[in-house]
Order: sequence, then C-alpha cells, then structure tokens
Amino acid sequence: MTTLRAFTCDDLFKFNNIQAFLNFLSQYGIPFYLQYLAHWPEYFIVAEAPGGELMGYIMGKAEGSVAREEWHGHVTALSVAPEFRRLGLAAKLMEMLEEISERKGGFFVDLFVRVSNQVAVNMYKQLGYSVYRTVIEYYSASNGEPDEDAYDMRKALSRDTERKSIIPIPHPVRPEDIE
Amino acid sequence: MAARGHVQDPNDRRLRPIYDYLDNGNNKMAIQQADKLLKKHKDLHCAKVLKAIGLQRTGKQDEAFSLAQEVATLEPTDDNSLQALTILYREMHHPELVTKLYEAAVKKVPLSEEYHSHLFMAYARVGEYKKMQQAGMALYKIVPKNPYYFWSVMSLVMQAISAQDEKLAQTMFLPLAERMVEKMVKEEKIEAEAEVQLYFMILERLGKCVEALDVVRGPLGEKLTSELRSRENKCMMMYQRLQLWPECNALSYKLLLKNPDDWQFYLSYFDSLFHLMDKSWSQPEEGEHCVEGPVQTTVAEAVKFVVDRMEEQDKKESRPLRGPYLACLELIHRLRQRGCPDEKELGDPLELMVQFFGKFGDKPCCITDLKIYLHLLPPEQRSQFKKRLGELVPLGEAGEDGFGFPGDTKALQRHLCVCQLSRALGLQHALDTEGKLRLITELKAHYHHGLQFGKNSSTPISLSLALTTTMWANMLWQCLSVLEEGLSFSPSNAQFKLLLLLLFCRLGAFQPVVDLYSSLDAKHVQHDTIGYLLTRYAGSLGQFAAASQSCNFSLRFFHSNQKDTSEYIIQAYKYGAFEKIPEFIAFRTRLNQSLHFAQVRTERMLLDLYTEADVTLSLEESVKAMGVCPEEDDIPWDNMRDNRDLTVLVSWDPKDRELTEEHRRLSLEEESVWLKVRSLTLRLLASLALLGHAPSPRNSDKTNENGISAKSSTLQTLLSQLDQTLETAVQITEKQTQVHTLIYLTKGCYCPYGSLLFPHADLCPSLPSSLSPLRPEMLSRCKGEVLEMKDGRLTTRPSLLETLVFFVETVCVVLWVASYSASVLRPLKSSLQKKKKKKKDSSSAMPVVLCGFQEWTGSLQGVVTQALDHVKGQEASLTALKLAALTLEEGYSQTQEECGFTRAAMDKVQSSYLGSLQELGDLLRKRADSLKSLKI
Repeated sequence: MTTLRAFTCDDLFKFNNIQAFLNFLSQYGIPFYLQYLAHWPEYFIVAEAPGGELMGYIMGKAEGSVAREEWHGHVTALSVAPEFRRLGLAAKLMEMLEEISERKGGFFVDLFVRVSNQVAVNMYKQLGYSVYRTVIEYYSASNGEPDEDAYDMRKALSRDTERKSIIPIPHPVRPEDIE
Repeated sequence: MAARGHVQDPNDRRLRPIYDYLDNGNNKMAIQQADKLLKKHKDLHCAKVLKAIGLQRTGKQDEAFSLAQEVATLEPTDDNSLQALTILYREMHHPELVTKLYEAAVKKVPLSEEYHSHLFMAYARVGEYKKMQQAGMALYKIVPKNPYYFWSVMSLVMQAISAQDEKLAQTMFLPLAERMVEKMVKEEKIEAEAEVQLYFMILERLGKCVEALDVVRGPLGEKLTSELRSRENKCMMMYQRLQLWPECNALSYKLLLKNPDDWQFYLSYFDSLFHLMDKSWSQPEEGEHCVEGPVQTTVAEAVKFVVDRMEEQDKKESRPLRGPYLACLELIHRLRQRGCPDEKELGDPLELMVQFFGKFGDKPCCITDLKIYLHLLPPEQRSQFKKRLGELVPLGEAGEDGFGFPGDTKALQRHLCVCQLSRALGLQHALDTEGKLRLITELKAHYHHGLQFGKNSSTPISLSLALTTTMWANMLWQCLSVLEEGLSFSPSNAQFKLLLLLLFCRLGAFQPVVDLYSSLDAKHVQHDTIGYLLTRYAGSLGQFAAASQSCNFSLRFFHSNQKDTSEYIIQAYKYGAFEKIPEFIAFRTRLNQSLHFAQVRTERMLLDLYTEADVTLSLEESVKAMGVCPEEDDIPWDNMRDNRDLTVLVSWDPKDRELTEEHRRLSLEEESVWLKVRSLTLRLLASLALLGHAPSPRNSDKTNENGISAKSSTLQTLLSQLDQTLETAVQITEKQTQVHTLIYLTKGCYCPYGSLLFPHADLCPSLPSSLSPLRPEMLSRCKGEVLEMKDGRLTTRPSLLETLVFFVETVCVVLWVASYSASVLRPLKSSLQKKKKKKKDSSSAMPVVLCGFQEWTGSLQGVVTQALDHVKGQEASLTALKLAALTLEEGYSQTQEECGFTRAAMDKVQSSYLGSLQELGDLLRKRADSLKSLKI
C-alpha cells in the first residue's frame, strides 16, 4: 500500500522519518537532486506510506545516442527504507522506470551496482537484468581512493527486438571508457 | 571552464595556460602568466579578467573587483571575456553585474542569439522576471524557436507568482500568459510537452479548471507522455477542484483495478463515493454516461469492491499486496465516522487486524500500517488483541528466566511488532513499576538473543523500546548505559545515537553530543531538519569552540543553498521543466526563512563577539565585519519556517501521548521568543559598539550630537523591545510547565541586562552617579555543585552551567560598557588635568564621575575574581569526584558489563562538565585581564 508520485523538493525535508536515515538519501548533495529534478523530473519518483512516511525513491535519466542505438534509461539511484523492505517496492519502482524508458523509445535500461552487493545483483537478475560488463574501480572511497568494481547491468526494452544491447562484453572496462 | 570559442583563435592559444592554471587551482601562476601576457598584449581584456579570477580566489577581492570593472566598462563583446566575467561575478556573489554585462553586449551585437540567451539566464539568476519576459521575446524575434517564446510566457507566470498583489496576478500577468499560449495554439505551433504543461499550469492558476480539463483530455493532452499517468493525475486534480465526484469516483475505480495497491486512489474513491451519497446522486439517463466509466454510489458497491480486491489478493500465488486489506480498515473507519451500520459487512476490525498480522506481521512496516487503525478497537478488546497476536508469534521454550525467544528473523520481527503494538495500545504504560522493570529485563534479553540474527537488523528496536520503558522509571544513568551498550553492538544505529544525544543534552554534557552528531553524518537539508539537536544547547553549555563549529556546519549549508538553487532554476528553463521553477524558488525560500538558519546565524555572531572581542574597539571591528546593523532586523518573523523534524525519534507511543500540532506551536513560540531575545542582544551589542564610535566630547558640534542621540535612541528602542520580549518569555514560563530551560533561565539571568545598559545610553557627556555594579546575586545563582555524589547517588544540576554561561556573557557586556565609558571619560580627565596645570590649583578634587567610575570598575573586578574562584572551586571538586567509588545498584540489578557502560557514560558527563568549566574559566580570565587595562 503505497502512494507513488513525483518527487518534490519538499520531500527532502522528510527524509529523517526513515529509521535508518543513514545512507538513504544522504549520499548526494542538493545540487545533484536539483539537477535531476530540472532535467528529468518524470524519472524521479517517490513512494509514500499512508502515514506520510517516505518509503523509498527511484531517480534516473535518459541518455545516449539514438543513431547508435544507445538511447536508454539509466537508474541513478534506487533506495528503499529498511522498514519498507520485502514488500516488492523496489521492483515496482523499477517497473515504472522501465515503462518511462519504453515510452521514450529507449533500447535498454542500465544501472551500476557494486560487485559485492550480492543482494542487489540478485534482485536485478530476478527483474530480468544481466551483467553487461564489469567497470574497474568505478566506486571510490570518501578519500578519493579507488574502492570497488561495478557491474554494468542491462535489460533490453521492446525496441531492441534482437536484444543486441545486452550481449555481454567479456573484458572489463575502465570508468573513463564508459559513455 | 571548457568550451571557449574557436580553437583557431590565436588569443585562445595564448590564454590556454592561464585557464589551465585556474582549473588546477594554481592561482598564483595564473596571475603571473596573465601579467606576462598583458605586457605583450595590452588589449587582451580576457587576460585581465582571468587575472582578476586568480586574485579573487586568493582573497584579494578589492583588487579583483576593480580590475574586472576596468574591463566591464569597455563593454566587451568577445566570448572569452564575457564568460570569464560571468564566472568572476558569480564567485563574487554579484550576479546582478552579469546582467549589465550582457545588456551592453546585446546592444552592440543585437542579433546574437547566444548573448541574448545569456542575458535571459542572467536575469533568471537574479529573478528579474519582467526583464526576462522581454529578453525572451527579443530572442524569439531574432530566432523564432518555441522554447524562447515559452521562456517569455513562463516569466509572466513568475511575475504572477511573485506579485504582492494577487489581483494583479489574476487580472494581468496570467491572462496575458494565457493569451500568449492561445495564440500559439491557434496557429498550431505547439510542439513540446513542456508547452502543454505550462498551458495547464496557467489555466490551473487562473482557476479555469474546465478549460484545463479540456486541454488535458483534448489533442494537446496527447503530448503529455513523459510522466507516468500524467493525464490521469491532472484530470483527477481538476475533478477534485471542480467537485466532479462522478468522474473522480470512476477514475479512481479504474486506476485501482489497474493497481490495487495505490493508496491515494482508495482515498479519492472513498471521498467521492461519500460525496455522491450525500448528494443522492443517481446515474443519469442513457447517453449521458460519465466519461471516465462506471460510477459507484452505494456503500454496498464499495464493500463489494474492497472485498473483491482482497479476495483477488488471497487467490494470488505471488506475494499479496497490503493495499486492499488496509482499504478495508479504512472503509470501516469512514463508515463508523458516518455512523453507518454497514461496517459489519466488512467484518470485525479485531479479526481483520489479526488476519493482517498473520499475513504481514513479519514485515517491519506492519506496525506503521496497523497503528493508524488501532482506534477501531474498543479499549476492552486491547488485551485480547495482543493475546491473539501473541498466538501467531512462534517463540521457543521458556528458559530459566521465563522468557521464550524467536527462532528466526521472521519470528523475531513478529515478536517485535507485538511489542510495538502493545506499546501503541497503551498496555505498557498501564504496567506498575514492577511490571515495567520486568518488561525492561525481558526486552533486553530479547535484544541480546536477537543479535545472532545480525547486528544491523531490526533487533535494536527492542532495545529502544526497552529504553523508553526505562524512561518512565526515571533512570537516566541506566538509560545511558543501555544505549551505550546497544551502540557498541550496533554502531550505526541512528536511533541509539539520537536518543543518546538527547540524554546528554538533558544532562548538559555537550562534549559527547558533538561526536554523536558527527557520526550521524547529517547531510544538506538534514542540517536544517535535525541540526537543532546539535546547536540548540551548544552555546548555553559553555563549549564555545564546539558551539561555533557546530553553527558553521549548518551555516555553510544555508549559504550554499542560494547559489545552488539559482543554477538549477536556469537549468529548469533550459529543459522546459516549468513546473519545477516555482518549486525550486519555494525550496530556496523555505531554507532562507528557516528558524534554524536564523538561530545559528545569530548564535554564531554572539559567540564570536563574546569570545573574541575584549574591548569596545574590537567589538566595533567585529560588528562591522559581520555587517550587523542595529536598526535592521534580518529575521523574517512573520514568515518563519519551522523545518525542524520533531519526529526524528521513532515513537510507538499511544495516540494521546503523541506529539500534537499544539506541541509544535508552543515549541515554535518558545524558540521564537528566545531567538528574539538573542537577536535583540546582538543588535544591542552592535549599537553599543557604534555608540563607542562617537567622537570625543571635546570637539562636539551639533551634527555629532545629533548623531549620538540618534544612536542612543536606537539603543533605547532596542532596550525596551528586549524588556518586552523578556516579559513575554517570563509569561511563557509561567504558562507552561514543560518549557525550555533557556527560557526558564531568562527569569533569573537575562533581566539585569537591560538595567546594566540603560544608564549608559545617555552617558555622554556626564556619567550618571548610579552605575549599577554587576549584581552579586547573579553569581550566587551559579553557586552549587554541578555534579554531586550524595548518598551513593550521582546527581547533576546542568542548569548551573547555563546560569554561569549567562553570567560570563553578562561580564563581557559590562566590560564593553565599561570600556566605552572609559573612552568617554579619558579625554574628560586629561582636559581637567590640563586645566589643573594651567590654574595650578591643587585644591580642586577629582570630579565625582571619575571617582565613581573607578569605584565601579573596582567592584566589577571583585565580582569577576569571585566568579573565577567559583569556577576554580568547581573544577577542583569535579576532578576530586571519584566516580569509581560509586556503587551502582538501586533496585535495578545491572550486570558487571552494564555497570561498565554506566560508568563510561558518567565519565563522559564529568569530563564534559570539566571542559565547559575550563572554557568558561579561560574566558573569564581573559576578561579579567582586559578589565585591568581599563584605567582612565
């Protein structure tokens, strides 16, 4: 039981309602959120409980060249508060992002995930995503040192009838080599 | 600083190294390189601007500014100079100068699309809506692209939004915007989704809901595709505003069939249903059916609808959705509100909730869901409800202590949920002391047992529960112990930290609070919403350095907000996210008008003055540097936004104990009064500082005298305002039992302030004989032990610390007054002495005023020495306190480990008190020294 609606600036004031507010929204600065709201407002969706508590949110964008068949939806952030996990909310939010990307005529949806985050990797696999390539040292620690590799995971959309976009690249790539 | 025109341009090549230096933060080299280049090419203006950027970034603002103005007056039209100046002005926080720059540029190059567009954005940055409207149209005339036209339209909407006069918005700006769009519609020139969105926005603001609906449902509405359900959402909004309940009902019904978990549509479905029933609405004759489909108008239909949705979920193989089951409880709630007997058709709430628990009890959200509907249970059913739920929680065999434990995380979650529910039902509150103590022991046992399922799982909640129970028993030290222990097992648990933080604040121990807060890793808006937890007590507990730093955390965020938001307002124009523009502006305003912002701003300046400024001269410098103007009140009292999140601590308390709107209102009232006291103090200090600026009385002419009297009248006004505010504060104290300690203290400590300053307002030229000394009773209020061991118990009196802080603040103020008096008296004395020499008259005695002053400073000295002795004494007795000697057993058996955590907490409090006393002592000593130098 969830109200799904567009994310607004006022939601930023409500993020403490979530028990473990650490790591929930705080990984990005205000400019980051405003940038997404200004450019891709339709891709920024929040889920709200009947009591008004924020349950989770998804934030994404559309990018890539249409000519090269790389136009796609990208999941920038997906987060569900601990107390609202195991309700299928992440899947619902992903489904919405995919639908928006479908409407925009994207070829696929992609996302990055820490290779160590097995729970997330498995969840994305269940949702139909597969590892397209590994990006070396994609994540860095707060001191700027390289921290961890990422999987670039993809799911083909209906426009990519032959599912060409998800044929895995066997060799890992460096962050500067990805578009 | 990327793209900078054409690569072929030789100037680009010459400038390149300077750009690189600037980009790499090597400002000195950038300046040097620019100088070198300027020697050869005097007229390379851009090099000058780049040099100015380097100067600005190395703190030479004035030099940078004049260099920039040199170039700006030439009205440059080369892209490099313009862009560099734009960057510079933005860094200097002078975005308004960018507009001047491009105004000149478009005059010289009237057909440049680029410069016109820069001009528009420059206006957008400073919110010059009327000029934006014109700039947008000018742009459209040069290059007839739709976005430019709609920038202009949006600027009209912004004029409407920002208009003081709503009538002007409704009769001029919005209708004009509407006509502008209509023109494009008629000419069939509408291209983008954003344009339709904007059209809708205008119609909506004009209250033309029917027209707005026509747009959404018509061919233009087909462009609304980006956002999911965009058309449906907009239609729903308009149906509700137009009270078109049949359409509202039918659309909700349709959307719920698609997604039976979307809560907002259950609400609109029920709302519309009851509106229709109240109006006895009936289906119209054939051919006039509702555009949205079938309409439901009876309770029977609604009951069937909800029951069908539940059955649908029951039959599902995959995970059931919560929506339909909760919708059922919601419908019962609404039917009961209306006194409608049909609720029985849906079943007994108790049974329904037990079933819900059976399905979702192992999810952490079960408590949040059910809590809303607990009121459906009559009081006599509460215990029975808990018992029924208990039957659904599989616990293992009871051990020696009589407690059985869950075998897996799901069982654990269920057990937790029952605990939370029984608290929310008030069952825990009803226990007697023995029962509560047993509950604490039980919950702690569960916590320890649950740790095996993961340290960061929801297990710690049981500890928090246990703890809040502990609060009833008023066992603060044990609370701290339990929390410290919990934190040692679950180091990232935010709730533990928040609770600890509050308890330490209550104890007046600020030192541990700083670490706890920083480990919460609060980011951006959280500095506003929860920052009060840190800054509220910072200054008043005598930890000045930490307090100042804490204020800085918050201030940095607030200051960056202004610049950040402007950039994204501009982006929103570029991408046509018109709906977001007023939203971003509202966001910025909400932060600018934040109560917390005003508080940290004021406290930070006060802290700086108290700790840094020793005599009037430095006070004056500081006040000028801060830009405090006694006549100006910079706090938006009428539009203050209380952004504090007062529910950051999770509570499962029963409804009658929950935070109410009234609590919020009272809290805001208290905070505002206190803020007023503090900001008036600050402005008084500023006016005192500027009073000290008055010329010496010897060469006083008329204008100067007028100047002084104007200043003293400000002082008088502020003083009487302070008196009034303190009066209000005292009234609040008397009215409420649970008030803020700070306000409470005003009764005792802040009052002398007024009378201390008062006589000095008309000090010039003669000093009144009745200079009030620093009242001894103020110091006597600080006497007592802040931490004391008595009959084997450790007691704290943190209010003594706060009183002492105010005492020290008062010493600072008195000293400034004294220093000002001295500056007035010194010339008087020297002129007397000269006269004495001339007349060689040995008989003339020292005037009363001079003797009086010396007497007064003498007595001041005495009080400060006493205060220093008191602080020293406190430090000594605190250090002598051997907490280890304390036996920790009072009707609440603690294990050895737990005793260890209690002691650790006690140590923290002790060392924090010591820290406060040391800082206070240091400041007092510094002031005592400045006092000695105050000879006339």
